Amino acid sequence: MAQLDVAFFKPFVEGAMNTLKTQCSIDVNIEKPFIKGQKPQPEFAIAGVIGITSPSFNGTITLCFPEKVFLGAMSRMLGEEFKEITNDLQDGVAELLNIIFGQAKIILNQQGHSIQKAIPTVVRGQNISTRSMTKALVMVLPFKTDLGEFHIEICSESSM
Amino acid sequence: MFDPKTRVLVVDDMMTMRKLVIKNCKELGFSDITEAEDGAKAWEAVDKASPPFGLIISDWNMPNTTGLDFLKRVRADSRFVKLPFVMVTAEAEQHQVVEALKAGVSNYVVKPFTAQSLREKIEAVHRKITGAK
Repeated sequence: MAQLDVAFFKPFVEGAMNTLKTQCSIDVNIEKPFIKGQKPQPEFAIAGVIGITSPSFNGTITLCFPEKVFLGAMSRMLGEEFKEITNDLQDGVAELLNIIFGQAKIILNQQGHSIQKAIPTVVRGQNISTRSMTKALVMVLPFKTDLGEFHIEICSESSM
Repeated sequence: MFDPKTRVLVVDDMMTMRKLVIKNCKELGFSDITEAEDGAKAWEAVDKASPPFGLIISDWNMPNTTGLDFLKRVRADSRFVKLPFVMVTAEAEQHQVVEALKAGVSNYVVKPFTAQSLREKIEAVHRKITGAK
């Protein structure tokens, strides 16, 4: 879990805040991060997952939204009201994650991580939860908005 | 600014991002907008378009034929050497910008972006091709 210090997850925090503000006109505040399992999390309806690989570590970044927050974000981004998460709309979570990841990757690569490009996957359902298949701890970054909370989960373990 | 009658091609594998770019293009006054979900379909549209497109706005990171591959294909055809091509991407590392410039991109928009920043990039392309100040 050596990579999960402030310097590692700060670019994701800044990326999320900048992305939601610029693309969806949503002001975002970061709450106190916690280790997954130590606190209850909201019921998520959609998540984007992206694998990260570098010479020194492997892991995943997951962006999770409750339905109301995701629909609100998409409505503000596209300027029309959405009442359900359709097949057409679901790629929005992947796009937001791509943008957050793209911004974080620049900073982390300047720090020498050599993170490669990656393609996100979308997970959708009622009250979905993520579970890491490694023993590595998962850091949860909770974000608060006027629409409700959304989370970024970061799981990373050394590959050396 | 471009003539509002200019034919615009918007290319992105993500439907939500295509919708966003199209919404922004409409706000800029464009009404003749075609969309494609990957570089291969986009090339087919460019190759067959009559009248031809006057502006392409393409994502970079797409499966199969990427935006960069699409750009190279467009520039390799003598008909489209000067066709305005704006790349919209979350990939903004310096070597990637250089790669796109070498391939002949007209301008580069980094996500996240506002309607205003997209407008400024498109206007800059127009100034470049017309010599206007």
